[in-house]
Amino acid sequence: MIEVRGLTKLYAGRTVLDGINATFARGEVVALVGPSGGGKSTLLRCLNGLECFEGGSVRVGDCALEPGQGRVRASRLWDIRRRVGFVFQQWHLFAHRTALGNVIEAPVHVKGQGVKEATQRARALLAKVGMADREGAYPSELSGGEQQRVAIARALAMEPEALLMDEPTSALDPERVGALVSLLERLRDEGLTLVTVTHEMRFAQALASRVLVLHGGRIIEEGTPDQVLAHPQQERTRAFLGLGRAPAS
Amino acid sequence: MGVWLLGATACGPKEGAGLERVRREGVLRWGADAQGGEPYVMEDPEHPGRYRGFEVELADALGRELGVRAECVQNDWSSLIPSLERGGSFDVAMNGMEILPSRAMRVLFTRPYYLFHLRLMARQDDTSLTGLESLRGRRVGTLANSQAWALLHGSGAQAIPYEGVQEPYIDLEQGRLDAVLMDDIIAQRYGMPRPGLRVVGDVGEGYYAIAVRPGEEDLRQALDDALDRIARSGELRAIFRRWDVDNAAEQRMVEWTQAQTREVLSHTSTSRLDWNQVRLFLQASLVTLGVSVGAMLLAIPLGLMLALGRLHGPKWVGALASVYVELLRGTPVILQLYVLYYGLAGVLRLGPLSAAILGLGLNYAAYEAEVYRAGMLAVPKGQLEAALALGMPTRLALRRVVIPQAFRVALPGVTNDFIALLKDSSLVSVISVVELTKRMTITAVDVRSWLLPGALCAVLYLAMSHPLSRLARALEAKLERA
Repeated sequence: MIEVRGLTKLYAGRTVLDGINATFARGEVVALVGPSGGGKSTLLRCLNGLECFEGGSVRVGDCALEPGQGRVRASRLWDIRRRVGFVFQQWHLFAHRTALGNVIEAPVHVKGQGVKEATQRARALLAKVGMADREGAYPSELSGGEQQRVAIARALAMEPEALLMDEPTSALDPERVGALVSLLERLRDEGLTLVTVTHEMRFAQALASRVLVLHGGRIIEEGTPDQVLAHPQQERTRAFLGLGRAPAS
Repeated sequence: MGVWLLGATACGPKEGAGLERVRREGVLRWGADAQGGEPYVMEDPEHPGRYRGFEVELADALGRELGVRAECVQNDWSSLIPSLERGGSFDVAMNGMEILPSRAMRVLFTRPYYLFHLRLMARQDDTSLTGLESLRGRRVGTLANSQAWALLHGSGAQAIPYEGVQEPYIDLEQGRLDAVLMDDIIAQRYGMPRPGLRVVGDVGEGYYAIAVRPGEEDLRQALDDALDRIARSGELRAIFRRWDVDNAAEQRMVEWTQAQTREVLSHTSTSRLDWNQVRLFLQASLVTLGVSVGAMLLAIPLGLMLALGRLHGPKWVGALASVYVELLRGTPVILQLYVLYYGLAGVLRLGPLSAAILGLGLNYAAYEAEVYRAGMLAVPKGQLEAALALGMPTRLALRRVVIPQAFRVALPGVTNDFIALLKDSSLVSVISVVELTKRMTITAVDVRSWLLPGALCAVLYLAMSHPLSRLARALEAKLERA
């Protein structure tokens, strides 16, 4: 579904991503973990073209992004962004629109859906994320968790094939994390590809089918949560997870 | 009010102290505007700070007669009389000052020193103008509050007021006016050299005299006597000849008698603030409102495009927009109006109203651009990013997400600018548009009072700006909720 080949990104002379290769299959849930500055958020942002990069390629279905394509890049960007949704760490709900207004904005103005149809679908999505009764509320009137659920509904309204989430648990109370996990599980079961950056290992453990550890702009370890989080092979992964030295083997 | 009047009286000039003061200080200070130019008074190009002109020579001759030195004091022409009335920095005013009833009620006039004719000029190709009676309903330019101005109003012409002597002839050539009525000295210097124009004829006459502070009867008398001597000795016409303003009619100045002075000064005007004047005020408010709204309707979209260009356009567009903003914000709007209306008259044929709207609109666009830019910068970057992440092209994202939010931030600034524009629109009087402030100054001179016309003018400005403030505040409150 998403294929990354040799992805390299420089920022102010520093290599942020250093030849990343990764594939995200349909219906897969992948957690990107690793220390701050390891490149996980940058990789996530590259996946739907929010960051440009200096080398390699990002392919979504039959649509490929490569460095320096000018106008071609612009039209491909829109194609990719309509297929890959993004939920920001700070959600960035449109402050001048209600919850419902946020959800119908893109279907009406990007896809050209009728307002009536878009509203109907948006209500269904808001119900799905548990926000049916708050559709008239403005973002400033919603809690962090509520804003996140509206942001998820807003991304889903474009019917993406994949959903990218940056630190979804960072603003949630612990008891809310469970609700988020079950919502995302349902989306996964419907065939949505999920890629999430997280610091919360229990969240990764509960949800992910695969974990990638990024360090210094490279993927240093990958595998199932059990393999990577419980029995890491790499010293740096162990250090990051706060485990002791690996047993001699 | 009573205290104020008492104070004003106490500070007023002492009866008959003028001549004594001039003699004591050994100098006769006379107010004039060198901008009026050749041949009256102009700055000497070879000796900056010194003046030349037939009035300069006359002043020197008068000083000699009084046994003092004459010194020219530069003062804006339109405020010569008010300055003199308040006892300003000069003893007398002498600068093509026509004896008008409205002025004679405020200051003392000496006997006249020059007889002028009112010369009517039209375009060569326009044969429909034959004289004063043919002017009914036509656009005729002249200086506001001059004798020609009064004559035009009596003739049923549409009098267009100007502040300079070149501009009316430029506008006549451009077809923005049908005729120009000015003193023959002005017509000879500024109108007749233009090949496209012709003299229709002289349709009236009047006198230039020296204005003296009210109450200084002794100075007036001394100047009268001095003028008599200068005229009788032949010196007066010799000065006129040197400056090429002499003609046979000036012999009347030589033979002038005191009885004639009394006769000229006995005319009084009856103008007062009546319903007709109020109607003109209301019309002028509509001009002010129309010009302001028109200019704002131009400034808003243009300002928005400039702001978008600076923030989101390609580099060269951003650079051009910056230059535009700096240029139009950094130079006086009055200069821009001049350039647009007179400077570009050869290539851009604009009527005064459209030039006013265009000029103010282009100028205010620079301010609007900055207000919108500030508004857009106040919208968090994440908002644009979220819109882009949903697949919106940049333009759509700006239109749907950034601009509406920037508008809320910018609204108080825009309201502020519109109210400033309402008042700045008074500047368009330099391109002969009679708006509210111009109407007020014209009427104030006509009715010899600034109090009532000033108050009426202020009330009308407030009546336009206050509802707007209220509307903007209501809109802000409505947007506050979101």
